[in-house]
Amino acid sequence: MYLKINHISKTFGKEQVLQDLSFTLEAHRMLSILGRSGSGKTTLLKIIAGLEMPDSGTVELNGKTMNEVPAHLRNIVYLYQEPLLFPHLNAFENVAFGLRLRKLPETDIHQKTTEMLESLELGDQSKKMPGQLSGGQRQRVAFGRALIVEPQVLLLDEPFGALDTETRSAMQQLLKRMVATFKITTLFVTHDLKEALLMGDEMALMQGGILKKYETKAAFVQDARTGVGEEVAFWAALGIGN
Amino acid sequence: MLRKPLKYTFAAAVLFPFAFLLALSFGQNWRFPAVLPATWTTDNWHFLLAGQSDLGQSLLRSLGISVGIATVATGLSFFTAKHIAYHPWRERWLTVAYFPYVFAPVILAATLQFYFLRLGLAGKVGGVLLAQLFIAYPFGVIFFTGFWNERMRAMEQLSATLGGNGWQTFRRVLVPAAKGALLVCFFQTFLISWFEYGLTSLLGVGKVQTLTVKVFQYIGEANIFYAALASVLLVLPPVGLLWVNKRVLFKT
Repeated sequence: MYLKINHISKTFGKEQVLQDLSFTLEAHRMLSILGRSGSGKTTLLKIIAGLEMPDSGTVELNGKTMNEVPAHLRNIVYLYQEPLLFPHLNAFENVAFGLRLRKLPETDIHQKTTEMLESLELGDQSKKMPGQLSGGQRQRVAFGRALIVEPQVLLLDEPFGALDTETRSAMQQLLKRMVATFKITTLFVTHDLKEALLMGDEMALMQGGILKKYETKAAFVQDARTGVGEEVAFWAALGIGN
Repeated sequence: MLRKPLKYTFAAAVLFPFAFLLALSFGQNWRFPAVLPATWTTDNWHFLLAGQSDLGQSLLRSLGISVGIATVATGLSFFTAKHIAYHPWRERWLTVAYFPYVFAPVILAATLQFYFLRLGLAGKVGGVLLAQLFIAYPFGVIFFTGFWNERMRAMEQLSATLGGNGWQTFRRVLVPAAKGALLVCFFQTFLISWFEYGLTSLLGVGKVQTLTVKVFQYIGEANIFYAALASVLLVLPPVGLLWVNKRVLFKT
């Protein structure tokens, strides 16, 4: 198994945020984690990224225990809800940021960044500063900046939460396409049921610091706790769907 | 209609003290009730430039102290503020940072004087530097606490997950993001030190003669022309810094 989370627990003060949490994920798969605010999703992602230490349990990646590996050496990229573009860098330099940290030759940086911007349909926006880009464009730059370093795992924490419906839909399609193209193992956290179903190859539900991963999407849909049944009943009551 | 006259009146009101100080630095023989000095001469400036006065030395000493204070206070407070901003006791630490401002500088100096004498710091440039840090450093800490917010922390973490070690994140993310704030803090702490009188005068015990101390000394001696000359010198560096700040911070 590529990513293995073993019995992770985490407490902040008196509040237990994660309780003996375990799951696995195969390489090049996207796991959607559905959960409400405060369910511990962000803490879980930060522990996997190395930004928080668990009280107990281990994070294994490709057979190697990562607990003692600092965040900057894990090659696990964590993306926030906000794009968080570096305000002093233009779109090109934001995307190239990770390559510059790795001290790649200038020609490689230029070629890879240009290709990434083209694939994100941002080729003509490369010189623009973050403030000159739209919300969707900023989010695309953020994806490009993450994908260009070919992370071992990509962690997405409600990445489309701040976007309008139309842009959100376009970004969902784009992300699916990019993750498939670059073959990135991804954890996608959201509180939006439809988005979770749309994005994930595999499904999990997080409640009160406990994560349940489902064998199949059908099992996820059938579990009353996921809210799929309520959603279907709502549309049925309106006479839409069956 | 009134816009232009108002603008000129405002400009004249702002510029008059500078112009008058400059004019006075060329004056001699000003006796009551004359409106202006009787003699206009470059003697005062010759006296300064020929090295006969110790004003040049005071200017250099003041520049050294103020640049030193601004550099140390800005650098130290940038990192201190980060630790305080993310500390669970943030509010308590910030309250402590306000303490030096509860007293007037002279009272603070009187409180510290005994210890400075015991440590052999009184009357030394090093002692004045340390004394001025008591005011400039907490100012920097308070100034930077707003900069270290959750967004900045998220950017630091993002840089780390993209592969940036502590130094790379500092150099490529934090310093460029803080450039404006660093410059403003440098400017402000420079000014705090540059115009500081109470602490410098008491703890310098007359041996560390900064330009500000000199101005007060000349005024005390009723030497209005040297006081004006020293004041002109006193105004020049802040004006220069203001110009640099404006060019760097407001360039489009």
